[in-house]
Amino acid sequence: MADAVFLALSVITIGSAIAALELRSLIYGSIALMGTLGGIAGFFLLLDSPFVAMFQIAVYVGSIAVLILFTVMLVKRELIFKKIEDKRRKFAGIGLMLVLMVGLGSVILDSGIKSITTDEPAVDFRDIGADFLTYYWPALILMALILAGSVTGALVLARREDVGNEQRAN
Amino acid sequence: MSVIAPKFKFSEFVKSILDNLFWFLLIFALIGVPLVQIILFYVEMPVINGELLTPFLALTWLADPSRTLPILKAFMTTDLFRIAAFPGFGFAALLAAGTIFVERKMLAKLQLRVGPFYCGKIEGILQLMGDGLKLLSKEIIIPAKADKPIFWAAPVIFVGAAAAFVALIPVAPGWVVADVDVGLLAVFAVIGFFPIITILSAWSANSKFPFIGGIRALHQMVSFEIPLILSLLGVVILTGTLNLSEIAASQSAFPWIVFLPVGAIVFFITILAELERIPFDLPEAESEIVAGWLTEFSGMMYGLVQLGTYLKLYAFAALFVVLFLGGWNGPMIWPPFPEEIITKGIEAGPITVQIPGLPLFSQETLNGIVWFVIKTVGVIFFILLPRGVFPRIRIDMLLSLGWYKLIGMAFINIFIALGLLYAGVLGPGGML
Repeated sequence: MADAVFLALSVITIGSAIAALELRSLIYGSIALMGTLGGIAGFFLLLDSPFVAMFQIAVYVGSIAVLILFTVMLVKRELIFKKIEDKRRKFAGIGLMLVLMVGLGSVILDSGIKSITTDEPAVDFRDIGADFLTYYWPALILMALILAGSVTGALVLARREDVGNEQRAN
Repeated sequence: MSVIAPKFKFSEFVKSILDNLFWFLLIFALIGVPLVQIILFYVEMPVINGELLTPFLALTWLADPSRTLPILKAFMTTDLFRIAAFPGFGFAALLAAGTIFVERKMLAKLQLRVGPFYCGKIEGILQLMGDGLKLLSKEIIIPAKADKPIFWAAPVIFVGAAAAFVALIPVAPGWVVADVDVGLLAVFAVIGFFPIITILSAWSANSKFPFIGGIRALHQMVSFEIPLILSLLGVVILTGTLNLSEIAASQSAFPWIVFLPVGAIVFFITILAELERIPFDLPEAESEIVAGWLTEFSGMMYGLVQLGTYLKLYAFAALFVVLFLGGWNGPMIWPPFPEEIITKGIEAGPITVQIPGLPLFSQETLNGIVWFVIKTVGVIFFILLPRGVFPRIRIDMLLSLGWYKLIGMAFINIFIALGLLYAGVLGPGGML
């Protein structure tokens, strides 16, 4: 059962990743990208980590994909369907991908991943939280500061002084 | 003589009904019964009264009242029942249908109109059924230059996402379709799909009004998702869990709205914005952009979008109940099931009918459902009410409300929750 699901997820993820690169329409490309990101969320579900899977869906499919869609829709209409064909670039890209995959694959296979036992219970998300508050607290503080800074910055940048809040013009 | 159908003859009417009945029976006997038997062979059958239910016996037993109830009870434990009927789609659709009718009638009364009146004699009670039949029989028109695959898929996916949202809501102890350990995060993930579906359907219609509406919906939903998520964190901090059933069960003594009223207010306002309801109905502003992102939908596609919208409304109201109003918790008001029916059976004159398998639901479950429905209906009422009272607000006011006031208030709510937690009043190991 898990093998079949894994295979289906792999096909969805890789297929929609290729589609995201190759489709002529940018809108369909970004929908395919959503398929890829959703497939990765499915992998996380298979790995017994629904916490990460839900964040993957909420952040990547829910926010990043919306951002991409929004940007694409602001592009001129002719540009949405236009694509620059370049055979040499394509083959160079495929070659680079193969080199990267072989390199990464050999590293991962060398790292002793085969000897990992899979019977251990799934990590509870409460443990992740406890780790963040104890051992990794500097990272947590740093992230919190960066996020708070970016939210405040966004609010300040978006603020307009010239628009009042009155409904009625005098 | 009827004005609507001048050539109507009662005998012809009866004859057509009998004709239809004949053909129905013939087709059912020749195709339906063998098909049911074939399907039943592949379905895993329950053991009832110590005897395996075989497909040969199934149809016989359906006619025996003492054995129908155990079969029904066995069916009620299946996933199919949960998804399609009780805590899932059917229950939500029923409440959504009631909401549509109450909304139309109540708005009419608020605005000194009559509202639905003629359909079904009594106060237009059958109006919804009439509308449904009308939508079913109408032609579906696709704009000539629309992007057809996305345009077709959008309403279906919209209903699917709304149903996924409904599936996460616990209605009574143990009665939830998907009891996920990270239920609240799953809710956030599902909510994240609605802006995508909206903007895609708006873009695919290839028309100006839907596109403007879609862009507005995207702005509104994305900016109000942030205070929505932040306003719910207070409850998570105090309960220490993301499971919605556990959050509901943790409020047996008092609901969280007592301690987190700020979060509840913020969440309620974001509900209004996420549901595109007045005063935040800019994506559908009918006086400016026809019907916003729904403009090009026709026939049953429009019906599906409306169904999804009202399912979403029910799910948000139910989420408010689960998180802030105590879910199914409440004093016991449901009477206990009479014992003598279980022990002696129903006595009707000379006949005594023994009905094994009763009661179908336990007393606690029924009480929980009653309280849940009462609270949810109350929240839905407060969601509907602004529509009769408020005007639509400008988009810059909407965004400034979302980004400045609501996010600030959500943070205040989080600090209140943290203060209560660290003061040792609430939370794990707290005083209450």
